[in-house]
Amino acid sequence: MDKNELITKLKSIVKPYIQDEEAFKNLSEETDFVKDLKINSANLVDVILDVEDAFDIRIENDEMEKMISVKAAMDIVNLKLK
Amino acid sequence: MIGNDIVDLNNIKSNWNRSRFLDKVFSKKEQQIIFVSENRPQTVWLLWSMKEAAYKIYVQQFGIRFFNPQRLVCHLSSSTIGYVTIENKTYYCSSIISKDYIYTVARLNYLKNYNSSIFKIKNDIYVTQSESLKYRFLKTISISKGLKFKNLSIRKNIFGVPKLFHNDSKLPIQMSLTHCGNYCGYVYF
Repeated sequence: MDKNELITKLKSIVKPYIQDEEAFKNLSEETDFVKDLKINSANLVDVILDVEDAFDIRIENDEMEKMISVKAAMDIVNLKLK
Repeated sequence: MIGNDIVDLNNIKSNWNRSRFLDKVFSKKEQQIIFVSENRPQTVWLLWSMKEAAYKIYVQQFGIRFFNPQRLVCHLSSSTIGYVTIENKTYYCSSIISKDYIYTVARLNYLKNYNSSIFKIKNDIYVTQSESLKYRFLKTISISKGLKFKNLSIRKNIFGVPKLFHNDSKLPIQMSLTHCGNYCGYVYF
């Protein structure tokens, strides 16, 4: 999937859970879900489940482990879509 | 080192009944504890807060962040006392369960005394919560240690771990802060 298209899709997925509007506006590959967007960890579970639903993929717990940034989420999704 | 976590039971935005939610967070054994418990939502968030509080210590200890709640394994010895293991590391947990919140303090040494406080705030907006929590915590430190409030600050390291500073020097105080919905808690020793 095209990189920008993927970021846009991820951005719409995390939107309901973010607690820092400014960081959300400036969302990039480098954005950290917890440190920047201040997503609480229970909602991080929701983000993962929403990503699974949106891309029709299943993420194993050991793969999920690194999914704390936009970049890491993009890598997992790309890997799964191959 | 010390870690804490609070869950505002009236302000939970995650639905644990959602398909696959429990499998992402809890082992089969933990799910069993939840299913046989009298109050399932309460047990879900009790185990969750134990994992969160223990994880906060792990990050301080090793400077490694990860997102895999199942790697943190909960063991309950009573309704509010237990421990969490991450591989061969053990974190001792004490929780407080009320009808409005669940609060857990985790520590490396279960004999260690600590000061802990829970309070309610009106606003549940993240920035306001975070600011009131820091303010209350620094006020407490200022009074108990006899240090000027204006010289105290909290700085986060690159792993997002908060540390207490007096002017530019780090104080030898172990601490942890938590907030959720309308509840905040701090712990230190």
